[in-house]
Amino acid sequence: MCDVIYAANLRIGYSSESILAEIKNLQIKKGEIVSIIGESGIGKTTFLKNIAHLLKPISGTLKILNSDNAPERGEVGYIPQKLGLIKHETVFFNVLEGAICNESILRSISGLHEEKVIDKVEEAIELMNLSNKIDEPIKRLSGGQQRRVAIARTIAQGPKLILADEFLSELDDKTVENVWKAMMNYADSNAITLVIVEHNIERAKLANRCFKLEKNDKLEYSVLTEVRI
Amino acid sequence: MNIQRKKYPIFLAFILIATYLVFVDLVDGDWSSLENSLDNLSTFFYESLWPPNWKVIEAQSYPACERNWDFLCSPAYIGITETLKIAFVATGLGFIIGLPLATLASRNLYSDSIAIPFRLLLSAMRTLPSIIWAIFFVILVGLGPISGVLAMTFYTIGYLGKLQYEAIEGLSNDPLDAAKAMGLKNSEIIQRVVIPETANNLISQLFFMFEYNVRHGSVIGIVGAGGIGYYISTYLKFLQYDKVIALLIILFIVVVIIDLISIKARSYFIDNATFKSPSLFENFFRVK
Repeated sequence: MCDVIYAANLRIGYSSESILAEIKNLQIKKGEIVSIIGESGIGKTTFLKNIAHLLKPISGTLKILNSDNAPERGEVGYIPQKLGLIKHETVFFNVLEGAICNESILRSISGLHEEKVIDKVEEAIELMNLSNKIDEPIKRLSGGQQRRVAIARTIAQGPKLILADEFLSELDDKTVENVWKAMMNYADSNAITLVIVEHNIERAKLANRCFKLEKNDKLEYSVLTEVRI
Repeated sequence: MNIQRKKYPIFLAFILIATYLVFVDLVDGDWSSLENSLDNLSTFFYESLWPPNWKVIEAQSYPACERNWDFLCSPAYIGITETLKIAFVATGLGFIIGLPLATLASRNLYSDSIAIPFRLLLSAMRTLPSIIWAIFFVILVGLGPISGVLAMTFYTIGYLGKLQYEAIEGLSNDPLDAAKAMGLKNSEIIQRVVIPETANNLISQLFFMFEYNVRHGSVIGIVGAGGIGYYISTYLKFLQYDKVIALLIILFIVVVIIDLISIKARSYFIDNATFKSPSLFENFFRVK
């Protein structure tokens, strides 16, 4: 089976003078749920941004969905730490942003969306139990509801790989459980690979595999190792 | 002494001293022009400027005007409405043309090789003040409101474009990152992320620019680009300063009214957790 994420001798950071982390060897298969833990500022988000092709690696090999190039439109879903929602716009508008990946740019720009795209938006909103909030602006929703909108946006996109950056932080335990369950169920039932950056070890334990980025005494940068938790 | 704590007084003192020294250097010891300045001002004010000549709100004999109410045929009304129309059209055109240029000049959307030339273009457009653009367009298309509209449009593109790309670059990275990771094209990101996220700023800037253009309507009119400035310039030529002051008072009242409406309208578009917009009185006097 092809690796969804393959990295070898990968060095990441913002410049060759300031390397943040090194990933010697990493293979993540289709449908795996993986968590990455580590202290603040160690390079977790930078690694996620490299996978999302938002940043370029400094050196080494990084293949996403078996390709060196940027993933195809809609193949990778990314949920940033602050979710990246359009706060003044409605739930529908935000979820539609994900769904337009399934139609041509011309249709997306003109606003003449295909029926299947609108169906995907409504299904994703329903799956996240947000149907009664469909026309509410994001700024009027609670933290948990906003996170569910971010997941709905990714679900409507229909990606093969989801990257989530500490998206459960600042939530109470009950909401974490609900949001996590919703995400897991969706990833499990659709064989989607899920990579979650977490600083909370309890939450990280919920994944199939866990990796840790930590500083190496001999090196100036951190290294990624698989851990059993 | 902790210099860090005293940095603001030190900075203020530095500015004062530097300003004084440069001013002294500029004047080069010739302070004589200041000697009679107050007397001159007083003479000019009472002999030429005051009281205002309110004939400017009466119908003018030329060109022929067939409106029923005298005021509608007056230089004040004709001038101010033309200035408002010039400012309105120029602000609208400047906004529509400036926005695409501003997105191309934004470094969080496009690479430096694209953004920098567009920044230079916007910078060049606002380097020339609207009066210079007005002189240029008066030569190009002749006297009248068209040259006024073109002059203000060009300046508006440069000025508003800068405000717009600064607003775009001030956007949080997260919505942009999410959209880029999805594989959306820049045109889609602009439509679905940039414009909705900056809409409040853009609308607020639009109102500000309209207000600014009305104020500058008096300046560009002086070189023949239409509006109230045309009448001000004519009265200046004939040394009718009492009419000039009357027109300036009218312009001031109009600008204050636009300012009030503009602040009121802008308050609806600026982020406010309570969604409460200030009253007209609060707009001016900031009552807490």
